[in-house]
Amino acid sequence: MKRGLLLALWAGASPLPAVAQDTQWTMPAKDYAATRYSGLRQITAANADRLRPVWTFSTGVLGGHEGQPLVVGHTMYVVTPYPNVLYAFDLTRDGYPLKWKYRPDVDPNAVGIACCDAINRGAFFAEGKVIYNLLDGRTVAVDAVTGKELWQTKIADLAKGETTPVAAFVVKDRVIVGASGGEFGIHGWAKGLDLATGRIVWTAYNIGPDSQVLARPGTFRPFYDKGPDLALTTWPTDVWQRGGGPVWGWMSYDPALDLVYYGVGNPGPYNPDQRAGDNKWTASVLARRPADGSLVWAYQFTPHDSWDYDANAEMILVDLMVKGQPRKALVHFDKNGFAYTLDRATGEVLSAEPFVEVNWARRVDLTTGRPVLDSSKLTGASRGNVKHICPTLEGGKTPAAPAAYSPRTGLFYVSTNNMCMDYQAAQATYIAGTPFIGATTPYHAGSVGGGNLGAFIAWDAVRGRRVWEIKERYPVWSGVLATGGDVVFYGTLDGWFKAVDAKTGRLLWRFKVGSGVVGNPISFTGADGKQYVAVYAGIGGDWFLLAGDVRSDDPADVRPPADFSPDIARHTSQGGIVWLFGL
Amino acid sequence: MRRLATALALVAACRGGGPAPAAPAVRYGQHVFAGGAAPPGATFENPYRGDRASAAQGEAIFGAMNCDGCHGGGATGWVGPSLADGRWRFGGSDGAIFQSIYYGRPHGMPAYGGLLSSDVVWKLVTYLESLQPPPDLPTEAWDTSAR
Repeated sequence: MKRGLLLALWAGASPLPAVAQDTQWTMPAKDYAATRYSGLRQITAANADRLRPVWTFSTGVLGGHEGQPLVVGHTMYVVTPYPNVLYAFDLTRDGYPLKWKYRPDVDPNAVGIACCDAINRGAFFAEGKVIYNLLDGRTVAVDAVTGKELWQTKIADLAKGETTPVAAFVVKDRVIVGASGGEFGIHGWAKGLDLATGRIVWTAYNIGPDSQVLARPGTFRPFYDKGPDLALTTWPTDVWQRGGGPVWGWMSYDPALDLVYYGVGNPGPYNPDQRAGDNKWTASVLARRPADGSLVWAYQFTPHDSWDYDANAEMILVDLMVKGQPRKALVHFDKNGFAYTLDRATGEVLSAEPFVEVNWARRVDLTTGRPVLDSSKLTGASRGNVKHICPTLEGGKTPAAPAAYSPRTGLFYVSTNNMCMDYQAAQATYIAGTPFIGATTPYHAGSVGGGNLGAFIAWDAVRGRRVWEIKERYPVWSGVLATGGDVVFYGTLDGWFKAVDAKTGRLLWRFKVGSGVVGNPISFTGADGKQYVAVYAGIGGDWFLLAGDVRSDDPADVRPPADFSPDIARHTSQGGIVWLFGL
Repeated sequence: MRRLATALALVAACRGGGPAPAAPAVRYGQHVFAGGAAPPGATFENPYRGDRASAAQGEAIFGAMNCDGCHGGGATGWVGPSLADGRWRFGGSDGAIFQSIYYGRPHGMPAYGGLLSSDVVWKLVTYLESLQPPPDLPTEAWDTSAR
């Protein structure tokens, strides 16, 4: 207890002004620093065992319910997976009836162009608007009071393999969006829209010449790399134009530095023989000015990514003591298995420690910023079937399941996977609108963990070590909520929603929510002044592909269980439920 | 009721006394035939059915055209449905499979007819038809105590 208090004191640990009060949850990650921390403290380790479900709602949609609801005032907003219905619930009335629902006309072809289930990662509230992306490549702004559509903008092109499950991110008068399609040979980008009208103000590619990447002389200062056109010269001629680099994860923003941070996904195709070079800025973090998209710095976690290690996971902005010095840090749990602490003003790597079993690299060289590779784990069509690479391309942590940070404990709470893969690459042919992959990658349980495929961990980013862990039978695929009551919430693929003690990891309470959890819990204060916790149940996302036997919605598509996880369908099936819990 | 009778009479009149209609082009169970009458149409028959060389060519095309990217290696299903389990969302007849590839299907199955000749599409059909579906086992059981 003392330690937690002390940490909280010196920390002022969350230096960034919270945009939303703790009573509400107005943006995907709760605050611009992406902490997913709510200061609400009615629910504590002492009373969490009295939590109970107080309300549920079926979204009417089966499939992966990623993302999270928003609560603005006493209205809760829920975006469903395709067909991307937006519900507005009145939390002041008995039974929380709908105020309205908005049903857009979304192109069903998007379902097949989306790589990994027709998911949506949620909405952002700003200036009276609820703003989110439709899967078919459009951003919409809906009046938060009336449910009327205010504007919509086509941002992406299905015919090129682009889909848009990413959550929109609003800074001042910019709506920042991106597109998926790392498996379809897209030319990845982020765009900045005008909040008032939806007009596209800037387009910044993640790959290509400086003019397209918006790497402007005098503005762009990467910490490790020098020279012009880095995102062009690190690719074979023309290959960069279909080199992937999608934007489908979570964004954060530092108002003092005026920088937006987002991760860039994998290079395409998965067969690295087809794209010699570092392939910048795939598998990287980019820091941009929100107003005009200018690139200020960039750092590549996995140069010449040969394992589909997308870097789309959240960048959590906290001030930490690193080697005795207070640093404005950015903490990132990469698919590649390393937990990185960067200086968020410059992109310098301050530390990088494995948070799960890692064998593709031995360590990260802090002088060069580059991983020190194990050459026996390099892949490519010329290298045949490379066995036992850890972690898998699902990641040591999936970017789909964002971590949380508690300023009270100074710890990060992280959903992790304990799996390794074999990697057989093959030549891939680019055909617009079809997959551009070129690898077969079967999974197996990691060497550690006693056969458990996942773990929920508390991570000390200062010391670079696990503080506690809860072994889970299946990969952990839910986001995390940390609270001021020192209770941390997460869900499991087999359908348990859990409350654990933030300091010790002791299980305080659990409830079976009807379907596996791949969404992110939130907390807010109800109209009655009480603290509530909301979460979606609805297994999907990659599990739509990996565990095809959790599906029962199509008699023409009945699959056997996954060999690496043979019994998950014993415990869960598809769903689409909004749950509300309280004391 | 009277309208339906009139419409049916019209349909019958149009058929006239010509040659017997071709076998229905649409034969899969999901279709409902208005008035119980299956629409006539051209019969699609796979010219390569059972030909092992064509099936092998089709398998190579299945990889080269990125079909495996959605339907998985061996066509056992990934983000797209399994094509190897003997169950078909849009029908498993020669013609239905051909049309799924040639014209595409809703929810993202691309139309390949602009890229591939009919002949090549038939080789893909031959490959898919060569896959031996496992026995159709509707039951997936975990509790072994009952065995």
